[in-house]
Amino acid sequence: MAEHKNAGIGSGQAADKGRTSEGTVRDGSLPMDGNQSTTGSGSSESHGEWLARLEQQSRAKQEQFMNHISGRLGHPRMYEKPQHPYRGAPDFWNAFEWSEEERITHFTDNFLSVGGHVARVDSMEAVKAFIVEKADEMSAKYVLRQDQPELDTLGLEQALPAGTVVSVWNSGPEQHWKARAAEADFGVVIADHAVAYTGSVTVLSAANKGRSVSLLPTVLFIIIPVERMKTRLGEVLGTFDEAGREALPAGIHFITGPSRSSDIENDLTIGVHGPGIVYALIVG
Amino acid sequence: MKVSLFITCLSDAIYPRVGEAMVRLLARYGVALQFPTVQTCCGQPAFNSGYWKEARDSARTILDAFEDSDFVIAPSGSCIGMLHHYPKLFENDPVMLARSEALRAKSYEFTQFLVNVLEVTDVGAEFPHKVTYHPSCHGTRLLGVKEEPLALMKKVKGLELIPLPFAEDCCGFGGTFAVKMADISGAMVTEKVDHVLETEAEVLVGLDMACMMNIAGNLRYREKPVRVMHLAELLYEGVKEA
Amino acid sequence: MSGAAKGAKRQTVKERSELALNDEFLRKAVKFTTERLRNGKKKASEEHGNWELWRERGRQIRLHTIAHLDYYLNLFVNNARANGVHVHFADTAQDAVQLTMDIAKHANARSVVKSKSMVSEELHLNQALESIGVEAIETDLGEYIIQLAGEMPSHIVIPAIHKNRYQIAELLSKEAGETLPPDTTALAGFVRKKLREKFLEADIGMTGCNFAIAETGSMVLFENEGNARMVSTVPKTQITLMGMERIIPSWSDLEVMATLLPRSATGQKLTMYMSGITGPRREEDADGPEEMHIIIVDNGRSLQLGDPEFQELLNCIRCGACLNACPVYRHIGGHAYGSTYSGPIGAVLTPSLNKNIAEWDDIANASSLCGACYEACPVKIPLHDMLVYLRRRKVEAGHGNALESMGMQGFATVMGNSSRFGGVLRLGKLGQKLVVRGGVIRTKLGPLKGWNTYRVTPSLPKQSFRDRWDTLDKELGLTKKDISETAQSKMEAAVKKRAQAAAEAKAEGKGGKGHHG
Repeated sequence: MAEHKNAGIGSGQAADKGRTSEGTVRDGSLPMDGNQSTTGSGSSESHGEWLARLEQQSRAKQEQFMNHISGRLGHPRMYEKPQHPYRGAPDFWNAFEWSEEERITHFTDNFLSVGGHVARVDSMEAVKAFIVEKADEMSAKYVLRQDQPELDTLGLEQALPAGTVVSVWNSGPEQHWKARAAEADFGVVIADHAVAYTGSVTVLSAANKGRSVSLLPTVLFIIIPVERMKTRLGEVLGTFDEAGREALPAGIHFITGPSRSSDIENDLTIGVHGPGIVYALIVG
Repeated sequence: MKVSLFITCLSDAIYPRVGEAMVRLLARYGVALQFPTVQTCCGQPAFNSGYWKEARDSARTILDAFEDSDFVIAPSGSCIGMLHHYPKLFENDPVMLARSEALRAKSYEFTQFLVNVLEVTDVGAEFPHKVTYHPSCHGTRLLGVKEEPLALMKKVKGLELIPLPFAEDCCGFGGTFAVKMADISGAMVTEKVDHVLETEAEVLVGLDMACMMNIAGNLRYREKPVRVMHLAELLYEGVKEA
Repeated sequence: MSGAAKGAKRQTVKERSELALNDEFLRKAVKFTTERLRNGKKKASEEHGNWELWRERGRQIRLHTIAHLDYYLNLFVNNARANGVHVHFADTAQDAVQLTMDIAKHANARSVVKSKSMVSEELHLNQALESIGVEAIETDLGEYIIQLAGEMPSHIVIPAIHKNRYQIAELLSKEAGETLPPDTTALAGFVRKKLREKFLEADIGMTGCNFAIAETGSMVLFENEGNARMVSTVPKTQITLMGMERIIPSWSDLEVMATLLPRSATGQKLTMYMSGITGPRREEDADGPEEMHIIIVDNGRSLQLGDPEFQELLNCIRCGACLNACPVYRHIGGHAYGSTYSGPIGAVLTPSLNKNIAEWDDIANASSLCGACYEACPVKIPLHDMLVYLRRRKVEAGHGNALESMGMQGFATVMGNSSRFGGVLRLGKLGQKLVVRGGVIRTKLGPLKGWNTYRVTPSLPKQSFRDRWDTLDKELGLTKKDISETAQSKMEAAVKKRAQAAAEAKAEGKGGKGHHG
């Protein structure tokens, strides 16, 4: 994972990626007014220089902003972590836990109640059979899956009929992966965590696990290894505190059912922007 | 032990029957209510509208009236609730602040005193009527008076308590709100009365005459014969008959 | 039909309320929606249990964070920067708009897709973007609808409840270039397809921020539709607008917020999507924004810091539960409040963010102070008290209503002295003879007009209580009597309990607001 250090000017290498629209006049021959707000192409400043300038301004402003806050609060600037007596959920809650069977039952009830579908299967073979059956039922032509070893061995490519295209997220440089996700009928992912109390799964982004795979396709299949099923949300959230900032991925996504809205006359509709049909496959 | 009646300006001027019912009812339990006459009004109308100086002028009569009382009892959750604001009202005056905190500690809404202090729930009343109950906002939300009136009504012989739909919704009085935002207030009281009529009760009972006056006003306007009473009145009438 | 916000901005809340009260559809829609959401909250919180404990927890976490905001916000900013986020500060709405436009220009953006952000509504951002030729598209279904209608949201969570399906079908048909049926599934299906294109071609995705996690520099989004995920995954550049107070220390604290917010807003255990975003995409990722900006917005929020009467306002997690609980809101809907934020939170927030007291209209008067908002608030903000403080500040700043001020002075004079009070009662009994008919007063003239439009006014009885007292005393011998033994012992027990409670409270240090609620 690329480290974005707390550097000074010109930090954030992602900023320069793919920015060619303004040309790269970096010889500094044009006068640069510190307060000049440049306007797009043909300006005196490259994109990177503009970002750097903004950062400089922002760091100066940061001190001002924080001093203003501490001034209004009536105490000197705090740099040490204050005592935080009420951290997280109440103690009685942290002791609450369900048995594995209870977790599965409650997860299932919750997921079904919001319009999701749940199947309890004993093996990845059964998962494969399930997905293949659905593909047949829904005449799915495009399937997109994450690039994970468990999904490699799942063998969807072999099991699905010849006409069905199975793409593997970010498995090569040539493809426009977001477009593959947008045209996909099926998205197949493995849950990194699951929470029974809320009926949720958690998926973490990575090079081989695109956020788009659980978002853009019409139908989503989430494979949940049963040992990853926890009782409380806090059990999963706590792992992020433990892991620390640098270990976190860009996207941590909790999914608790199909996309929905009641914005039109309070009438519930399923499948607004995200997948409208979601299958949670509990394996093991 | 001095137990004083905080009559509230509304009961004093318009609904003296309520104060009288309280006095007579409590006398049966050996509590002789005193009435310090220097009291006028808790100051809530001025306080709620942001006129705190004027509210203090009124509040001083209350602090004076009950200086040496051990218990101050009012037939109103909102007026007792207002006494809870006195420390804030007088926060810049240490003497008045101390007096305010003392007063707050010894003030009770009527059913709070009867049920929680005297430990009475059965007054021996008989009131064979269909009754519905409106739980006034300040009493319920700010003083936490929820179970006491229900406990008392449960023990009244023949009283059939019909739950009021959306009981916890405000009746729309809000003091000067009813005047300043008359149309919104009117919409709220109309809805409240619609719910009262839904119950087909003969009697509407409550703990706060401001709410009762407001709801009764709309009932009369719409020429509906539902009788409107304070719980003290209902209990005393029930006791007289029994 | 629902032109409450369209067209000229009305002068006062009262005038706007009149419009709302006469709009039958609006009233039905608002009532239905608020009841549905209120029942949802009740069911969900009861099912979860120990709701008061969770509320107190939520309150403590927010109070703590705000009380140490300089520490936590600074920590957040440094961590976000370390994650590769470009962080900016905006003192005013104008600053935030400038920054956004600057970023849009540098991205050569032609279009921006936006997910729900109350802050962006506050800034009136869309107009600014349009003025530099950037198409700003709201993607939340309700926000998209009101954007097409050119209106403000009328509810924090369900912004288009004032529109019926026929109006929505009309609006969307215009966009579609064909007639769409007034059917939810068909209309939502059209929006899904249409916005899909917009998501995929947009240059910038803009989000709001439900919570920012200080210890890791992450930001969290709650939603049901999936559009917030879309705008933070697909476009190359992401801009997040964040109110400066939207901080919590850790992911563990997020559990408390995630327990309180969805249940309070709609009665859900959790929204369909809850996303924690920690910086832009990693270099090896194949989706997610390449460039991510967070604009931290003040716009009057820091005014509440250090103000003991209003600092708690910053606890707000924008759940909308107060709107659903408020009987006034239920009758007049959101547009009558005349600004971005409506309902009880809006009635306090709008004047508070605006330093100029002279510009506050009568919005704080649109309340009967029933306290339902305080009872509903998952982080226990005493909105009902704050409304009184606002009223007081307006009066103290000399902007009180002249007539009302005179009336209040009269009130103080009369009520300041019990003989004067008694005297006024006597006068009243005489004077009312002119207007009392059949025991009641129905006249709609003068000060009784508002009241008597919907009610009758009771007349003053012959004897006030204080008139009656001497007779009562004589009959019952009250001033002479002693308290009975049983009553005495019970009261002494009560006095003892009071003293105990006071001692305990003192030992803990003066805590809480002394409410019995």
